[in-house]
This record gives sequence, structure tokens and C-alpha cells, in this order.
Amino acid sequence: MHRRELLGLAAGSALVAHTLQGELAQAQEYFSTISVPGAAAGKAGTVTGSKGPLQRGTDGRLLRMGSLDLESQQDFTLAFRQMHARQIRVAANNAFQRLLEAEGIDPTMPLSVEQVRELVAKDPAINFGVKCWLSNQQITWKTLQDYYHQNADYYLAEMEAADKSGPGALVLSPAMTIPDYARHEIHIQPGGYVGDPFAGHIYHYGTNSFYISQYGHNEQDEIHRSMAGQMPIPADGKVKRILDMGCGVGQLTVALKERFPDAEVWGIDVGGPMVRYSHLRAARMGIGANFAQKLAEDTGYPDNHFDIVTSYIMHHEMPADVTRKVIAEAQRVTRPGGVYYPIDFKSGGTRTNPRQMYSRWWDHRWNNEVWSLEYHSMNLTDEVAQRGFTQVQNATAAMPGFGVRHFVRTA
Amino acid sequence: MAAPDSKRPTYATEAIPSDVKTGMFLGNPALDSLVSCVIAMNAEMWSMRRRMKVMEAVMAKKGVTTDLIEKYVPSAAEKVAWEQDRDRFVSLTLGALADQGFRDMSTDFPKR
Repeated sequence: MHRRELLGLAAGSALVAHTLQGELAQAQEYFSTISVPGAAAGKAGTVTGSKGPLQRGTDGRLLRMGSLDLESQQDFTLAFRQMHARQIRVAANNAFQRLLEAEGIDPTMPLSVEQVRELVAKDPAINFGVKCWLSNQQITWKTLQDYYHQNADYYLAEMEAADKSGPGALVLSPAMTIPDYARHEIHIQPGGYVGDPFAGHIYHYGTNSFYISQYGHNEQDEIHRSMAGQMPIPADGKVKRILDMGCGVGQLTVALKERFPDAEVWGIDVGGPMVRYSHLRAARMGIGANFAQKLAEDTGYPDNHFDIVTSYIMHHEMPADVTRKVIAEAQRVTRPGGVYYPIDFKSGGTRTNPRQMYSRWWDHRWNNEVWSLEYHSMNLTDEVAQRGFTQVQNATAAMPGFGVRHFVRTA
Repeated sequence: MAAPDSKRPTYATEAIPSDVKTGMFLGNPALDSLVSCVIAMNAEMWSMRRRMKVMEAVMAKKGVTTDLIEKYVPSAAEKVAWEQDRDRFVSLTLGALADQGFRDMSTDFPKR
């Protein structure tokens, strides 16, 4: 997802009248009401399209998918996600409730992940919803990957041409050693972020249906543009350079460049295919955001270089020790008085109520959110606060329902 | 995973694969596989239906309207042929619902 703990926040359940559902509802309500300038087709930021036999036009700033069948398959998986949330998950929750009652477990009692694993092994019925969700997720990815691989030369040529074009820069590092932690197929996306040449294409279109089913439309980057709009700036008002760590397909990077057109904006990501797609997309929109293949824990930028450093749903996709290194790197490259705002889920806590822990477990294990349990084993906000940043109190949430982590680099 | 039909640089590297396909969620791996198959078949079915909607829309712009399609009355021969095809379709896709399995996999022939 973006780097998304896909079900963790989506565990809508009558059983869980708890923070998770509250966060999701809050976010859904928020995104159902926002209006993003230029989001309608044909307005500023509209893509100009690409040449080639597979062009099917544009929908605002989104290039339409390359074939009608692919578009329809994605349309189906979106509908299935929505139906799953409304019906299948409810049935699974009911099965879970029955299991808890049979086992005499209080549904509000915090359990560890080990306790939940033991519990769910006793009743396949509660896993039916997970199986359906995962099968649909696999189809989402497979249809996209198949399409791009069937048309590989065309799309590789398109990226090659864009690699050298502007207005923004692209820096690839093919000799860079990719750490093992970043080579996993997060969200069971085939190839993950580094292993498929079309990782960016696949991720972008695959996550569109995810966003629609969970938060609201994002085909015009509505959610990322909203986040960029909420991004706080340094007290002195100076914003010359911005860094977006773990930028994925560059949606937040581009949105930040749109908000701060005079600033030098960089999006970095470990995945070469991800930054290539990010750059291609930005170039197509005529937006001068820059992209580089870099590790967030070792950016190579000079000390005190950036006025704003941010990231979006990156930290839950890396081990806790890497997160600590990333925070240290952010502290190094953020100028005194500059803003550091890592956007990610609320974290902290290795025990929670059974239904929520079940969601966390299966998302971690079977949706391949390899590092999410480590993420929840620490408190990201506290980690940042301990490393040379001052937290701004009563700050605004850049992403409703997520952790509010507005920090200022201390002098 | 390298792109299959291109010699162009990919900037991709080897990923660590997930083992999601080895998961058994329903107590029987065949059930797991069937669920995946059913969802995939429905994705294809919807894809086909959606293509037909596009075709109808395109045809309507060329004069073959939805109204014409909806009001079309098949000939007697068409009606017979279509009913036969419908029955074959139902039998093929849903006939297994009438199966009455009760023998364990290890059961030998009742008689030979």
C-alpha cells in the first residue's frame, strides 16, 4: 500500500467497539467529505497520456488501465472487497464471537498473538473470511502483473524514455544492496516493491481499489493531497527542501510539490521500479518532484538539509531497529526548527482484544505484513521524541485516525 | 521477477516470496483451492459481462440500441437452441450440487 496493514485497520466488527473501528470510521467520514481542487477530469494536474497501442485515455490524473478486461477484473476485485467488508467479514466475526463464547473468553480481554493463534486454529469457519479476502487480493495482483508482463516491452520502453525526462530528476542506484527486510512480498504483491519491474504500476492500481473500499476515492490522489495539505511547516515559514521517505509510487511526494511548487521535493524509496514509476507519473503530470532509489536509514543527504521530512505508512514495513535508524537519519537531515512528521498507524501494544489481535495476526502472517508486529511492539511516537525532536502538542492529524506525530527538530 | 519478453533494464532484484499459497485456512486444502477458483471465475465472469455492456453501449451509438436488444424476440429455432444451451450451462456449473458424497476417501469398492 501503500504500505498498509491491510486488515489491521479494517477490522470492522460489532465485536470490536474499540479504537480500531473508531479510527477507521473517523477516516472514512473525513475522506467522504473532502474536496480536492483539480481532482475532476481535465483540470490542473491532468495527465497528458502516453503514446502507444495500449492507450485508453485518462480519468483526471489517472491513466486508464491498459485493457478493458484488466479494468473489469479490478472492478470486480473492488466490488468483492466492498462485499467482503459488508457481509463476509460480518459472518466471520459472528463465527469468532461464537468461538469466544464456546471457549468462555471475554471479547474485551486483551490477548497476546500467541493466544490468538492457538484460538483460531480451533475453528476453520472464522478463517473463511480471511481466505476469501486473500484470494481476492491474489487476483488483484495477478491480473495486474499478468497484464504488465504481457506488455512488458512497451511499458519498460515507456519508463526508459521517462527516466531521462523532466521536469523532475530521477536517480537510480542499481548497484545498491537491497536489505533483506525490504525484499519481502508485502501485501502478497508478487515481487514486492523491489522484485518486479512493474512494482509501481501494480501497486498503484492495486491500491486504488483498496483505498476506495477502506477510506474513499484516491484515484486523483485525494487522500495524499489531503495529507500534503495538512502537513505542518516550520515556525519560520521557510520551506525550501522536502524529503518524503519510503515514497512508494510518489503520490505524497507529488502532492507536496503541488503544495510547495518553489521547494525542492525529493521522494526516496528502496525499490527501483517504484521510483521509476513515481518519476514517470510525475513527469506525465508535468510536476517537478524528484525521485531517488535510496534507503531511508542511509539517505546520503547533507546534515540539516531539509525543512520538512515526512513518510507515509513506511515504518510498519520495516524492523524496529531499522525504524530507529531511520529516525536518527531524519534527525540528521532535518534542519533545526524543521518539521519531522512520519505518518503511520497508531502503534504500541503487544496485547489487545481477541478480534483485533486476530486481524493483526492474519494480516501480519498471511497478508505478509512481515514487520507489523514489530511495529506494534514499540511506540513510534515515543521513539521519535527520544531522538532530538520536540513533539508539538495538540497538533493536527495529517491522516485522520493515524498517529499524530508532528515533531520539530530541536536546535 | 524479470519481465518475460524484454531485454530492457528492469531495476528489479530478487524478492523473498510469500508462502501464502501454502496456507490452509479451511481445514482442507481442496476447499481453500475451490474458494480461490470460485472468486477467480467470478472475476472473469464479471469481466465478460462488463465487456458486453461496453459492446451494447458502442452498438447503441451505431444504431443497435438497448431497446432493440431487450425487445428482440428469438425465433422458434433459436428458442429451442438457447434453452438447450441454458440447460447445459446449468448442469455444468451447478450439477455438482446434486452429488451425494458420503464415502471416505479410503473406502474400497462396495462390490466389484
